[in-house]
This record gives sequence, C-alpha cells and structure tokens, in this order.
Amino acid sequence: MGGQACVFYGAAQFSKDVDLALLASEENFSRLLAALGELNAKRIAVPRFDPALLARGHAVHFRCQGGEADGLRVDVMTRLRDLPDFAVLWARRATIQDEDGATFEILSVEDLVQAKKTQREKDWPMIDALVEGHYRALGGEPTPERVAFWLAESRTPERLIGLAQRFPNEARAQTSRRPLLRLAFSGESEALRTALDAEVRLEQAKDRAYWAPLKAEFEAFRRAEREGSGTA
Amino acid sequence: MTFEEMPDEWQEWLELTPIERFRQSEKIFAQYLAIGGSLDPDPDPTSPFYDPETSSTGAAYGRPGLRVLRRGPV
Repeated sequence: MGGQACVFYGAAQFSKDVDLALLASEENFSRLLAALGELNAKRIAVPRFDPALLARGHAVHFRCQGGEADGLRVDVMTRLRDLPDFAVLWARRATIQDEDGATFEILSVEDLVQAKKTQREKDWPMIDALVEGHYRALGGEPTPERVAFWLAESRTPERLIGLAQRFPNEARAQTSRRPLLRLAFSGESEALRTALDAEVRLEQAKDRAYWAPLKAEFEAFRRAEREGSGTA
Repeated sequence: MTFEEMPDEWQEWLELTPIERFRQSEKIFAQYLAIGGSLDPDPDPTSPFYDPETSSTGAAYGRPGLRVLRRGPV
C-alpha cells in the first residue's frame, strides 16, 4: 500500500520496505505470522503484534533475516486514517498481473493519495506525482469519477487552472468541497499555491492530532521495553 | 509539478507500464543494495514513528565503510 504501490503508479522508483494493509481476522493474522515466520522476520520496534493495537491504528514493524529478503522491513497495518474499512479498500483495489501470471493487489490510487496525506513532508510530492501520473495516463479518457478525482486531488496551480478550463461545470460543482478551485477559474497561480500550501498544513495538523494519542502509547511501549517489561 | 515540467527521466518513468516500472524498480533496488545501500528508514523527525534514540543520520551513501570527506557548498 505504500512505496511499492507508488512504484506501480509511477510516483516512486523504488521503496526500501513493504507496507501491507491487512484484513483484520484471526485466520489472516495466522497466515501473516506464518509468512513472516518463513521470512524469519522479527519485530524491530514497538508496538508488539497485537490485533487490538492494530485496530487502534498502530503499525507493527518487522525485519526479515536471511535469504533473499534479508534486511527487508515489512510494516503491517489494519487501519488507516480517514480511510474506510479493509473490505471497502479491497473492493476498490487495483490488481496488476505480471508476465508470469503473478498478481499484485494494491490500494486504489484514490485511497493511496488519501493514505499519503500525512504529517511527513516527503509524502506530499508523492501525492503530486500520483495524481499527475494518473492524469497523464487517463486524461484522454475522462469519466465523472476521474474528473472528480483530478479536481479533488491535483496539487499544482497549472493543472488546476487547466482542469477548471477543461471541466468548468464539474469544477464549479466541487468548489464547496474544495474552495481553492474558485481561484483556478480566475487563473491566480500564486494565490492557488498559497491555498494548496494551506491545505497541506491543515492535513498535517489533522494527521498529528490523529497520531498524538498513538505516539503517547508508543512512548509508553518504548519505556516498557527499555525497562524489560515489554512482551513479544 | 505537472508532467510537462518533470525532468525527462521522470517523464520516461511515467510512460512505462506498471509492471515495467516494477521490474525496473527491482533492478534499481538490487543496484542500491549492491553499492551498500541501507534498508534502515531514513531519519524523519516529521514521521510519527520517529524515535530520536534509535534513529541515526545513517552512514554516508548508506555504506558503513564510507564517510563524507567533503561536501558541496550547499
């Protein structure tokens, strides 16, 4: 769902880890732990693997040891901020098949963009590239859903101004949800840039607020592990 | 940055199919490891997972045996 998905969509060239969004079920957890066992993966950070912690939004971090995957980190989550349950994400996923028939199930680009709206500065250029890549690939085949996505998520003044000219009715209909689109009609690049920056700051503040209680828990888990009372 | 403003390398990357990108990415990843690239996360104080006690600035160019002797002006 993370960097590897960004590679498929063209927003990254490689990723140093694998991020998995997982269906939270007992059977699935057993399969995950068996797969991690085959990779000799060990947990490398707090929190411990606990479905209740995953359900609260925590990520569990593993590192593979030995074999072809030696050193590779695998991060697992079952809940993502401002994204629907796994069943919805799964229904909307993209499936890519290679020449040998192997399939890769990845977050839809819309969900990946939402997942990347974090407090981390490095995620925002990724969103730019995801949306721009999508528009580049499918701009010649607009559908109502695609137009809505481009208008909702494009992050460059030039693209927004172009979209407002190309799809004025759709853009007008979205101004209540994304007020900065009004600036696109008047072609105000600098004002758009400022408004886009404000959008980023707002989302980052939301993400910080979401993570604040989880970070407080991290700290408690770290202290417990350092004091030797943490459990695997 | 719009597609038209992207450097040629990125434009070419976006022109590949998803599977072509995945295969290229595997090669880049292998090269990265071959030159000693680290799989540790880059220290990122803006990440909720950042732990200042366990994060380091990382070895120069990712390889423990290398160190920076001279940096550019910026």
